[in-house]
Amino acid sequence: MSLFDKFAPLAELRAALAARGRVPSVATPMDAVQSATAAIIDGRKVLLAGTNNYLGLTFAPETRAAAIKAIEQLGTGTTGSRMASGNYAGHRQLERAFADAFGWPAAIVFSTGYQANLGAISALAGAGEYLLVDADAHASIHDACRLSNATTIRFRHNDPENLSRRLERLGEDARRTLVVVESLYSVLGDRAPLREFVEVKEKYGAMIIVDEAHSFGIYGPRGLGICAELGLLDRVDFIVGTFSKSLGGVGGFCVSRHPELELLRLASRPYIFTASPPPPVIAATQAALGRLLAGDDLRERLWRHIHRFHAAVKQLGYRTGSSDPGPVTALVFGEREQAMRAWQGLLDAGIYTNLMVPPSTPAGLNIVRISLSAAHSDEDIGRMIEVLAGLAAQLKPAAA
Amino acid sequence: MNVPDRVEQVVREALSLAAPDIGRVEGGTRLASELGLDSAQVMDMIMEIEDRLDISIPVASIAGARTLDELCDTVRRVVSET
Repeated sequence: MSLFDKFAPLAELRAALAARGRVPSVATPMDAVQSATAAIIDGRKVLLAGTNNYLGLTFAPETRAAAIKAIEQLGTGTTGSRMASGNYAGHRQLERAFADAFGWPAAIVFSTGYQANLGAISALAGAGEYLLVDADAHASIHDACRLSNATTIRFRHNDPENLSRRLERLGEDARRTLVVVESLYSVLGDRAPLREFVEVKEKYGAMIIVDEAHSFGIYGPRGLGICAELGLLDRVDFIVGTFSKSLGGVGGFCVSRHPELELLRLASRPYIFTASPPPPVIAATQAALGRLLAGDDLRERLWRHIHRFHAAVKQLGYRTGSSDPGPVTALVFGEREQAMRAWQGLLDAGIYTNLMVPPSTPAGLNIVRISLSAAHSDEDIGRMIEVLAGLAAQLKPAAA
Repeated sequence: MNVPDRVEQVVREALSLAAPDIGRVEGGTRLASELGLDSAQVMDMIMEIEDRLDISIPVASIAGARTLDELCDTVRRVVSET
């Protein structure tokens, strides 16, 4: 008997995934990254179609310049928590910028997107209170529930009626409940019925927090996300997001129309007991946020790619995780082997994507996830479609 | 032989929906290590039980339920507290 015995199924899964090709599909080693859409893998240049770099801002001149300037002026790290020596002017300015963008009174910056969920959710709901969580929510949300002392109950994915029944059963306790959903689910690319969720939470007097990790920067006026797109900013209570997708950095935020969000700084362990984000990260994010809010050009370019790609994929007969076009397209396969062949086929053709298999996928699905970026060229999108067309003949995806 | 109560019936039905290929399961069978259910399958099963019995099962209460019998006991406890 060993502590490692329980990892045996994971070792089997890793071996199965590694059995094909020269490059592992999980934790694929990148020798070098050359741009927002190009990297060297196994000595070959590949097109990146499996990142979350939706607006391509990792290599934007203004974000790089801001990061370099911040290092020169403020150094590489803060070496302290926001509660101690890590509370720089840049952190506070970035929080103000997020709050102002939403027209809300309060915003808190966290060191990672994972910690934004962990820190906000675990502090908002405590002992004697309830967290009602979408069953397909991101791991950071489920981990936040474990860190919280609240009672956690899951409801069926994207099912407002199922949520309503659980709130009904809570009776008066529904008023001490935080509903937790995402606006856009990253594995299948499906959108939440946010308007219906908001109506349900209002009926029972609960609060709602919406994770806009994959939608911020892409949807809604000025890229503020799906809540803003649906005109729900005066009805949702909290929005969390990440810097590591559209904003091209690392970190996370929580904004709220409730000024009491500020009190979380004194109660949120993932906020208090960790070093604050380094100056170059904060500076690059501030620049990226400014770029994102300033104009719709990057979003328009991304959406043009999305509509073209989504239509082509459907025409080729691929089964997708969502009928709604979005920055993420999940190609769904019936068997793991088929998904592995598709992933390997794409990589052999010089296109990097994400292979996702159970247990990390909903409903036991085998998925090749393709993410688009405003930094992709029209030729890049054409190449992806061309390769998928070639693979379609081999994989017979419609029968998957 | 004990006659299954309503809870056990529902739990078994939910198990057969979550893992259709699994045949007859003894009460002491471990859901994860012996039946090979992953966490997503277990959560599907729990939500099916919740819907059929019209109860809400806190996630934390399931953590200690490794076998079919233990899961039935957990569900009975929730039912009695509802």
